[in-house]
Amino acid sequence: MDTKKSEVLQGTLDLMILKTLQALGPLHGFGIARRIEQVSHDTLQLNEGTVYTSLLRMQQQGWIKAAWGTSTNNRKAKFYSITKRGQKQLEIETENWERISGVIGRVLRLETER
Amino acid sequence: MASKLERSLQGFAAKLRGFLSRQGHDAEFDDEIQEHLQLLTEKYLTQGMSREEATRAARRQFGNTTLLRENRRELQTLTSLEALWLDLRYSLRTLWKSRAFAAVSIATLALGIGAATAIFSVIDNVLLAPFPYKGASRMVFPRIHGAEQDEDEGRQGYTAAEALELAESSQIFDGSVATEEDLVLYRHGGGTDQLYGARVTPGAFEFFGMPALYGRVMQPRDYEPGAPPVFILRYKTWKERFGEDLSILNKSFVLNGTARTLIGIMPPRFGWYDADLYIPEKLTRSAGVGPAGYPNWFFLGRLKPGLRDEQAQVALTVVANGLAKLHPHDYPAQFTVLVKHIGDTVFEHFKATLYIVLTAVGLLLLIACSNVANLMLARATTREREFALRTALGARRARLIRLLMIESMVLALAGAALGTAFAWGGLKLLVASMPQELIPAEAVIQLNAPVLIFTLCVAALTALIFGLAPALQLSRRDINDSLRDSGKGMGSRSQDGWLRDAVVVGEVALSLVLLISAGLLMRSFVALRHANLGLRADHVFQTMLVLPAERYKTTEQLVQFVRPLLSRVKALPGVVDAAESSRLPPYGGNQTEIDIAGKAHLENWQSLFQYVSEGYFRTLRIELRQGRTFSEAEINNARKVAVVNETFARRYLANQNPIGQRVRLENLETEANTPQNAWFEIVGVVGDVTNRIPQGGVDPELWLPYTLATPGRQVLIVRTAQDPATMMDLVRKEVWAMDSGVALAYSNTLEGFINERIYAGPRFGSIMMTIFGCVGLILVTVGVYSLLAYSTARKTQEIGIRMALGARPADVLGMVIGSGLRLVLGGIAIGVATSLLLGRFIGGQLIGVTAYDPVTLGATTLLLTLTAASACWIPARRAARVDPMIALRDQ
Repeated sequence: MDTKKSEVLQGTLDLMILKTLQALGPLHGFGIARRIEQVSHDTLQLNEGTVYTSLLRMQQQGWIKAAWGTSTNNRKAKFYSITKRGQKQLEIETENWERISGVIGRVLRLETER
Repeated sequence: MASKLERSLQGFAAKLRGFLSRQGHDAEFDDEIQEHLQLLTEKYLTQGMSREEATRAARRQFGNTTLLRENRRELQTLTSLEALWLDLRYSLRTLWKSRAFAAVSIATLALGIGAATAIFSVIDNVLLAPFPYKGASRMVFPRIHGAEQDEDEGRQGYTAAEALELAESSQIFDGSVATEEDLVLYRHGGGTDQLYGARVTPGAFEFFGMPALYGRVMQPRDYEPGAPPVFILRYKTWKERFGEDLSILNKSFVLNGTARTLIGIMPPRFGWYDADLYIPEKLTRSAGVGPAGYPNWFFLGRLKPGLRDEQAQVALTVVANGLAKLHPHDYPAQFTVLVKHIGDTVFEHFKATLYIVLTAVGLLLLIACSNVANLMLARATTREREFALRTALGARRARLIRLLMIESMVLALAGAALGTAFAWGGLKLLVASMPQELIPAEAVIQLNAPVLIFTLCVAALTALIFGLAPALQLSRRDINDSLRDSGKGMGSRSQDGWLRDAVVVGEVALSLVLLISAGLLMRSFVALRHANLGLRADHVFQTMLVLPAERYKTTEQLVQFVRPLLSRVKALPGVVDAAESSRLPPYGGNQTEIDIAGKAHLENWQSLFQYVSEGYFRTLRIELRQGRTFSEAEINNARKVAVVNETFARRYLANQNPIGQRVRLENLETEANTPQNAWFEIVGVVGDVTNRIPQGGVDPELWLPYTLATPGRQVLIVRTAQDPATMMDLVRKEVWAMDSGVALAYSNTLEGFINERIYAGPRFGSIMMTIFGCVGLILVTVGVYSLLAYSTARKTQEIGIRMALGARPADVLGMVIGSGLRLVLGGIAIGVATSLLLGRFIGGQLIGVTAYDPVTLGATTLLLTLTAASACWIPARRAARVDPMIALRDQ
């Protein structure tokens, strides 16, 4: 296994998918996986199957909704889109993430300066 | 926080939806995954991979699809339900494998649950919901309770005018009926029979809300004066006296000299007033007192919905105060009106017995639970490795507890099923041994829906009680301990040992409490039977003579019948003595207010009184204390003389010579046909005779010559030389030779009568407790035996080593018995202490023995110790026979 690739942190996948859906509008599972792959420049090691678990979980929470549609190559596919509640959740999670990563960043810098 | 709850609810809803429509969604989801894999493969193909490589890369990129499906399942379905089913099947399988354990547990639980179910059936059917009437829980009767009277005393018989006044209190009742007992003489070809009739007021059957089984109930016109006379028969009487013969419907019967038409037969559960038949009567304000000679209309009303007892009491006290102004002598100077619910009269005294029995059953159930808990603990120890393995493979603790709880639940439900069968059989026995007059006539004791629900709840509760401790114990263990351990602990007791010990100690304690109460109740019952009633009940036959009212109206008519009858009966061979009285002994007479000449008193003085012939005291062997009893001349000349009991003399004439004192009976002055002047001279004092039935005790009582009485209830008392039961036919012949229209009722030996009326309740209690005590003893024996058998089996190796090192069998025997007896003695100490603490609760039920009776405590403790010691004996002997070679090899 490629050691340079990072594992996806627990819980961050939800955040990434929400953000993707917010930015790009309705997408199917494959499209979401491609988008994350593209953005991460292949630095993330992602089992694409876990995307579906995450999608299901968020559907149950009411953050996203799903509808059947037709993909670009005319095949039947399930399209996921963000809901209002998902938007709100995204805001909260983003703020959370920034605060925590800021803290961790500062802590790590302290470590190296000493 | 609210949104968290909302979300979890949403999740659950989604799960439920998923669970209900899983098939379709599964397929859809698979399609979605396939599509994704397809697209990934295509992507790799365009990058120049071969199809095979591309497929493999796509799979790698996507990850484990099976795991994904499982994750999804867990998210979307109620996995717990499925797991529950799996656990259930697993439990059934493991229990089937250890059949002996399961059988003993289920039988033990069935004993406990069965007993609880049977007793609860009685309580539900007798105490909680005995009456089949419409709104029975709101049916009450008022009792005029004088401020100076004992708690359960007071007047609940009313005049017609009073009953009408009460019935018109429409702000209190939304329906009512007044009932008066009416002894009915029924002339038929063979002679005369007495039936117990009840006269009921208009609207009675509508009030109870029960239609007739055959024929019809009374219509308003049936109550009108001058309407064709009719009556309605109770089912039980129809069955017992008329053999369920339907042809008697609409036939005419001569009742008390009046031809009445039978218009209806009531359904089996209608038993109002425990009467044989019902006669319509419309109350009028001008009517005097009825045939009883005192206000005897029993008023029953249904409280308006929402009206509380206390509110009704206040409102009724207002009504009664109005009545008291009109008839001041019918009311105590200061009184309140108590509201009593129907049934209160019937089982006031039976209630305590039933609740004691229920407590006993609860204890029994606890013992059964602790036995099963102990068996489970023992079994759990042998399963330690299984559970350690499960934990090592990732089972969570909650999951393990659930598995064990399901096993417990299976056992409890099986026990409940078997227990219900026990209860069904046991109820038949119970009903047969129950004192019949202590339960409402309407009550049918059977298993019903509320009882079965109760049983289910009990089963669930027992599962919690006996299952939780082993479950927690087993799931808490450190897995490494168990996996490392070879399974059979050496020497030192394992950690859970104390819990098993505690269970046995508790069990012994509970069982001892049961045994001690059983012993106390039994001794109390024996004491009650030997208690001095104040009269000699053996060799006495008694019967009530019911005189046709139309031919016996005056004292002269009464005396002309009784005096020759007494001489004829006395002349019979085998008859020692005969007497007449106005009450069936040992019941006391009617109540009256009294005054004593020259004695001022503020409070209300009360006494019972009855009319007797000169031979009364001699016939019943009532001891004379002072003065003399009536002479024949005094009786024949209807002299105004009285004999009082010791309680009377002590209470009202303390430190004085009662002989020659003059006493006035107020009631006599208000009744018709009795002399206006009701002053009597006391000529004698006799020993106290129990006259407060059934609770026991003695109230002041007066006896007056029967030649002053008007015909009412006449009782013939005969002392015989041989078995009194054999005299019945001879006496009946003499009575009918005098007048064939006279009926004989309640014919019985005095001993038989007392047996039924006074002893039935306590006997029932002591029989029940004895049965429970024995069951408890059996359960404890099983408990002690199984604990020791199990712990010695686990210590086989240790015993082998001890014996190899030179211990003799006797040492081993002593060691095992000692370890068992230590627990038993601990339990006994706790049990004795608990019994002493509980003493004052049971004390009220005891007669002639205290709750701290050393003989009972000693005997039951000894019994329990011996039984427990013998339970220790078998495992101890087995241990002593251990062959060290085999024991040491067995690992």
